[in-house]
Amino acid sequence: MSGAPLLAVEDLTLHYATRAGEVCAVDGVSLTIEKGQALGLVGESGCGKSSLALALLRLQPDNAQILSGKVLLDGVDLVSLSDEAMRAYRWNRIAMVFQSAMNALDPVYRVGDQIIEALEQHVPSARKQLIERVQELYDLVNLDHSFIARYPHEYSGGMKQRAIIAMALACEPDLIIADEPTTALDVIVQDHILREFGNIRRELNMSMLYISHDMAVIAEVSDVVAVMYAGKIVEYGTAEEVFTRPIHPYTQALMSAFPSVTGEKHELATLGGEPPNPLGLPPGCHFHPRCPFATDICAEQEPPTVRRGEHWADCWNPPEEQGDD
Amino acid sequence: MASYLLSRTIQILLTLFAFICIVFFLVNAQPGDISNVYAMNPELPPDARERLQSQFGLNQPLWQQFLVYVKNVFTGSFGLSFSHYPRSVADVIAERLPRTVALFFTATVFSFYLGFMLGKIIAWKRGGWTEYATTLGGVTLYTVFTPWFALMMIWLFAFKAGWFPIGKFLDPVLWREAPIEANTLFGRMMLTALALSIVVFAVFLATTRLRISGARLIQLGSLVVAVGVMIGIWRATGTGNLAWDIIKHMVLPVLTLTLISFAGTMLLTRNSMLETMREDFVLAARAKGLPEKAVRDKHVARNALLPVVTSLVFSLAFAIDGGVIIESVFSWPGMGQTLVAAAIAEDLPLAVGAFVFVGIFVLLAHLAVDVIYVFLDPRIRY
Amino acid sequence: MAVEVAPQSAAPSLRRVRFALAMRSLRENWSLFLGTRIGVIGLAIILFYLVLALSHPILMNTVWDERIYDPVVGYAFDETRQPAPPSRSHLLGTDPLGRDILSQLMHSARSEFLLGLLAAVVTVTIGTTVGAIAAYYGGVVDTILMRFADLMVMMPGISILIVLSALIGVEHFELALIIGILSGFGGASILLKSQALSVVVKPYIEAARAAGGGPAHIIFIHIVPNLLPLSFLYMMFTVTGAIFSEAILSFLGLLDVRMSWGLMIHTTEAAGYLLQVGKYWWLIFPASLSITLLCSSFYLVGRAMDEVINPRLRRL
Repeated sequence: MSGAPLLAVEDLTLHYATRAGEVCAVDGVSLTIEKGQALGLVGESGCGKSSLALALLRLQPDNAQILSGKVLLDGVDLVSLSDEAMRAYRWNRIAMVFQSAMNALDPVYRVGDQIIEALEQHVPSARKQLIERVQELYDLVNLDHSFIARYPHEYSGGMKQRAIIAMALACEPDLIIADEPTTALDVIVQDHILREFGNIRRELNMSMLYISHDMAVIAEVSDVVAVMYAGKIVEYGTAEEVFTRPIHPYTQALMSAFPSVTGEKHELATLGGEPPNPLGLPPGCHFHPRCPFATDICAEQEPPTVRRGEHWADCWNPPEEQGDD
Repeated sequence: MASYLLSRTIQILLTLFAFICIVFFLVNAQPGDISNVYAMNPELPPDARERLQSQFGLNQPLWQQFLVYVKNVFTGSFGLSFSHYPRSVADVIAERLPRTVALFFTATVFSFYLGFMLGKIIAWKRGGWTEYATTLGGVTLYTVFTPWFALMMIWLFAFKAGWFPIGKFLDPVLWREAPIEANTLFGRMMLTALALSIVVFAVFLATTRLRISGARLIQLGSLVVAVGVMIGIWRATGTGNLAWDIIKHMVLPVLTLTLISFAGTMLLTRNSMLETMREDFVLAARAKGLPEKAVRDKHVARNALLPVVTSLVFSLAFAIDGGVIIESVFSWPGMGQTLVAAAIAEDLPLAVGAFVFVGIFVLLAHLAVDVIYVFLDPRIRY
Repeated sequence: MAVEVAPQSAAPSLRRVRFALAMRSLRENWSLFLGTRIGVIGLAIILFYLVLALSHPILMNTVWDERIYDPVVGYAFDETRQPAPPSRSHLLGTDPLGRDILSQLMHSARSEFLLGLLAAVVTVTIGTTVGAIAAYYGGVVDTILMRFADLMVMMPGISILIVLSALIGVEHFELALIIGILSGFGGASILLKSQALSVVVKPYIEAARAAGGGPAHIIFIHIVPNLLPLSFLYMMFTVTGAIFSEAILSFLGLLDVRMSWGLMIHTTEAAGYLLQVGKYWWLIFPASLSITLLCSSFYLVGRAMDEVINPRLRRL
């Protein structure tokens, strides 16, 4: 990892205007992703992780607004680009694999045509070459060529997901954002696709932002992990650091909510309390009402950043730094 | 695809049969003896009365009457019209059906196109005065008392401005010397329109399938050329001014019918667009970097079209009712006006005959929508 | 004994909870409804005509002389020429037969409301029952009912009414019943059935069935109440349709009614004043505008309710 990062998000804040009031979905988030790196972003649903992902492509809904911050891709601030210039960045530089493969393909067009549509937009060439490119992509994701001219409803769930991945790879983007891409699939297919996708990504040296609520999946795909709670990144570090020595109580809770295959037996802890109401976030540390270690100060002031090398978290009462186990 | 259409056709035929049964039931369920109404009209000469009685089997038991009735419907013989005596019901209908089809078809195409375009635009630009004005205008036109609206159109454009004739199908003064029957001429006009639409459709299909650049220009050009050729041929035959007379009579009813029925499509398109816009594939289309117009037209509108076409079925009956009203206000001698006039004159054979044909017409239109739908939604084509 | 007593004592409190919940959602929906501009406009128009309709009998009994102001048989002796233009004693003028237009307008408003209400109640009663039955039983029952509904939906209603008016004498009451039956077995049952389908799969229906509830109990106690919001919405559109149909038929002179808005225009047409819109505006505008306004008001209220009930259409 050398030089400037591929993507640098600086102090990004995104608000939704809703009927009930302003909601701050992304609250001053800063992140970096190096070339070829995979960042896993984990958090409960509603914590703002999907809003963050959409904001990177400036695809936030109409009632959402980026209030401040920068999204720097190779040093170019995407937030301040014109709509026209932004369109040239979409898919060509940053592509996306959507949450539900079932609905991300338009049901009235052939899948091949939908991939060609993206190619035509950014790398226009003769139709024959475009089709050849689609065939290449189908080879890459292990789909049969005969399916290029078929409609989405003729695909199975797993095949749709492969087609979507093929579509995301079409323009050889620098960054792929994957927003819970395998949630709707059964575990075996999910595992298979994840592994293949990871291999392709590493082969092509693409960066990835992988979003999930599932710690197990995040652990499998990411080099670096960011944990998000109520619009803020509360913990950040390499996957190994975060998973072996979590600092933030929320991360610890997420960890203990999924069974470890290799580890010793322990009760599966479920996170108490309800996810925070985005309209009335608790003062101080947003997590304090659910936190087992909360003290008085947590409810009053924003927590300080605890740094342990590259690994950091925002917490008033971090666990003692352990030596090597 | 073939099996889907076959099953739909069978369903429509069954529906048609049920419909015919209901009409028979309605006619016979009224108090008093049906033969009184059908055959005892005092203005009827005795021989005609006897012919009626035997034709409808009025002196036979009910179930035999039913069989006779069904046979009559399928052979198209509904007896003699009282108010057009001695013309038969079938004869009157044969004259008037094409006129209704022309009026209805033109207005439906226009109103669907207009409604879909406007619905697309107001859904895309939510909020703002365009949405407000179009919705308000649309709802007003949708709920306006149709005869009143038609009347205001006549008053404004025909009576005051004098741009169009006040109602009727043609100008009798102009036609007194005409070398040709109005119905024959009208038949030729319909054939011309059919040929024109086939040409335009073929060009449209060819240009989109072959992905020729500048498709818009070719489509527009071919349309202009085709219309020009048609006009040239009509002028050469020397009946162009007569055809023009009929067209002039058609403009105002078509315009009125279009205006009262586009709003339904518009509001429906708007809702359908709003629901489609939430789909992930729309987000995906945006993420692909497509221009907003392409996202709207190629993805959102194309998918929003499906429920709109489905609901065409629901609005068909509404549109036909609108046609009936418009025809009677404009004295356009089509099926609707015939139906109303027959009901007022208590000319039962004609009223029932006209109603049966209106019903058959609706069912056929239904089938047409089914066929269109098959081409629009790939999930139905197997 | 104790086992039997327990549910009885539990029932009223459960009902009270349900009632409280219903009231709360009603209040919430009401404030949402008030937030839609079109709904408020529609409601205001309805109230306006309701006041007109209700004040007619009062006026007839107090200030208006029956011989002059009766909507059907009155005659404006105080005017020299009929139709007379609006004046102090006849605010909207008189018709070609010398009858007071305002009185006719107010008198007709009442029958329009009654007609609309009756048609809507019949429609929704049939529609809810058929929809719930079709969704509950499914299979053959569902197929038959829904095929029949398809047929009804395909039928052009006005045309049917025109034919019927030639066959039998149709008055307001019959008209309301026919409209109610046509739309009840047609559009209403299709719409309400699709809603009922989403209710039938809910766990509490399964629970009610397991607890030994019979079909009638489940349909009317558990399914139908959940269809009420949607059926209330559908009522609004039925009222629009009923008033509109009545106006058309009486405009064409096909109804056996003594007075209605449509008939007022029919009278104008019969007397040959139809195209003299500028000179005799009071013969055409009051009645036509009333039909249009009342039809649109119910339609607007319906659409506003649609936005309240159907959150997908709501503005964020």
